[in-house]
Amino acid sequence: MSMLAGLKVLEIADGLTDFGGRMLAELGADVTVVLPEAPQEKSRERAWHHGKTRVTADSAEAIRALAQSVDIILDGQRNGDRFNLATTVNPTIIYVKVTPFSPTGPYAGRPASDLTLFALSGLMHVTGDPTGTPLKFPGQQAYALTGIQAATAALMALYARRKTGKGQGADLSAFQSTTLANYREAVMYEWTGRIGRRQGNLLVRGKSGVRQIWPCKDGYVTWSMIDNPSMMRAVVGVMIEQGAAGELSEIDWGNILVADTAQETIERWQAVFGTFFAAHTRSELGRWSLERGWGLSVIMAPDDVRDSDHLAARGLFVPVTDEATGESVNLPGPLFHSAAMDAPRRSLAKPVPASTLAAGAGR
Amino acid sequence: MSALADLRIADFSWVGAGPRATKDLADNGATVIKIESRKRLDLGRMSPPFAGDPKDFDGSAFFAQTNTSKKSVTINLSDPKGIEIARKLVAWADVVVENFGPGFMDRIGLGYAVLKKIKPDIILASVSVAGKTGPMAGFRGYGNSAAAHSGHAWLTGEANNPPHMPPLAYGDVVAPMFLTVAILAALEHRSRTGEGQHLDVSQIEPMVHVIADLYAQDRAEKAGNDDPSCRVHGVFPTAGTDQWIAITAENNAQAEALKTSLGIAALDRETIAAATQGQDKFALFDKLSAAGVAAGPVLDGKDLSENPELLASGHYTKVEHPVLGLSSMPAPPYVFSETPGKIGPAPLLGQHNRDVYVDMLGLDGAEVDTLMREGSLA
Repeated sequence: MSMLAGLKVLEIADGLTDFGGRMLAELGADVTVVLPEAPQEKSRERAWHHGKTRVTADSAEAIRALAQSVDIILDGQRNGDRFNLATTVNPTIIYVKVTPFSPTGPYAGRPASDLTLFALSGLMHVTGDPTGTPLKFPGQQAYALTGIQAATAALMALYARRKTGKGQGADLSAFQSTTLANYREAVMYEWTGRIGRRQGNLLVRGKSGVRQIWPCKDGYVTWSMIDNPSMMRAVVGVMIEQGAAGELSEIDWGNILVADTAQETIERWQAVFGTFFAAHTRSELGRWSLERGWGLSVIMAPDDVRDSDHLAARGLFVPVTDEATGESVNLPGPLFHSAAMDAPRRSLAKPVPASTLAAGAGR
Repeated sequence: MSALADLRIADFSWVGAGPRATKDLADNGATVIKIESRKRLDLGRMSPPFAGDPKDFDGSAFFAQTNTSKKSVTINLSDPKGIEIARKLVAWADVVVENFGPGFMDRIGLGYAVLKKIKPDIILASVSVAGKTGPMAGFRGYGNSAAAHSGHAWLTGEANNPPHMPPLAYGDVVAPMFLTVAILAALEHRSRTGEGQHLDVSQIEPMVHVIADLYAQDRAEKAGNDDPSCRVHGVFPTAGTDQWIAITAENNAQAEALKTSLGIAALDRETIAAATQGQDKFALFDKLSAAGVAAGPVLDGKDLSENPELLASGHYTKVEHPVLGLSSMPAPPYVFSETPGKIGPAPLLGQHNRDVYVDMLGLDGAEVDTLMREGSLA
């Protein structure tokens, strides 16, 4: 049995709630999603709306009728309010209204997209190369982060409803959801007066900056010289075994603070590490990291992730069938591992008009 | 009354990946008891920025903002007497949260099987880099490992460029959000069935989930700031050093509004950049918003701290802290109509030892003093 089996959810989708509705569906809820007015990219439809009942908004009245029989509404309309659900829902319903900005603040009602919300979060300012244009993270992270918060708010209100028997409203800001992920920039400014800058792939701590990305024989790995003596000793230990440690074998890592070491010394040491990494494959370096506790990670391309033995053993990717075309694509399925997690519907449903669904529900 | 007012959490987690989840719960009324030790300090207490002396374990603003609204007790988990007290906290709790390395909870006698014997409907919520099962289950990583193993680093940036790491430990942000959802869903399941369970959240899997749209493409490619589904989707320079604005036009109406607002006839990158580069990013944000075009100035840490929308919406809530003084703490991004949350200060190390051990668990005060003196509760 799934955790949320039998729970009925109506989602009004336009990016902001897409992943939140998907999470609830993955946990077993019966999610009906009202599709946005503008058609979505096929890949986004597949990723975010599989496992849901997809409806087109042919009738606002039908949407309002559907809203009467659900436990939770996730309303993520970015542009106006097509359905006026807030005034029609009954008192046991949990109504999560997701908007780009707070409903009464100075930005209320402004248009927004994933990119503009990410820019506002402060994360973009510190992502990218120092001399280049600020970068977004891959995919649509502002929407994803907001979606998770929508699911969180809905489940918190569900917990409260178990105690009180009453539903309630929740206003959720996408700007705040995205900014909450930025745990560093505002607090650093507040306490140090320093404004973070883009550092590329350099990790700057104290006096020095250390590399995070290293070319190896067949790709890239990520690892950094950090003030963790046991990790440093673990890497250098293997380098000594391989005859590649050079001057690193003489260093007492327990008495060195990398953050206080001169940059030219860091560069000299990094050259030794770089030569060693370049001589080995991702597989070799990844295996040493796992066995010896290096903290090094192989940089995996999307196909590597899809083919990962580890993720296969954990059952992350699952086949999802498009009911309209019969095509199947492997997508992330379970959100986490749990004893109470039956597989939900693994298909992208054909859209049906809301009026048809509402008439069926009425019968 | 807050949404989670009667919920009890025994929180063994530390640094970021666990504590951010229990912050969500504590800010919404759950009683979260953070189990710490002077003998194995939460590294978050040693993370900058600091209010004063970096050696003051109670002065980290990083720790304070990650642990709002919680209580702190100290237990030496390598001491059998300390473990006995920890078991009493398990018996009290609805949910136990941990993010230790693989096998640690089993080794100290607090594995799921033991917890279940202490409290049959207990929910154990674990978060780790790669999860508790699978060939990488023992992987020892740090903040950004999940960015590498999920494809994030590979997919960040412009085509043909090397991988790019996130500027912060993004896996330590996304995974705890999944952990919060997992705990809340497990509580709903428990209320229906009476059953607890062990939740196993990996940091890698949530990081794959949040880019599922890229995995749904026939071939996932790096796109930089581009989005081919939009007429305009980019980041453009504005007046000043390193000042930028993001602009999108998702349809023709927005594209035409953008042209009119900027006084341009074409929508190629160079034309838009030439029109934006002399303009103040905030004034341009106002102008484009009024025209119905989605825009967002690229904010830095100072901009965030002073942002009128974030201040008006209560995103940064002023909280009085014994060491930090009156300081800004991030609040949840949602406001409930009937069960409002409340942000309290992060606890000092061991601040609530007496409240929890004597007043809540009913232990003898003299015994607690002895255990504290002997180091079992340190």
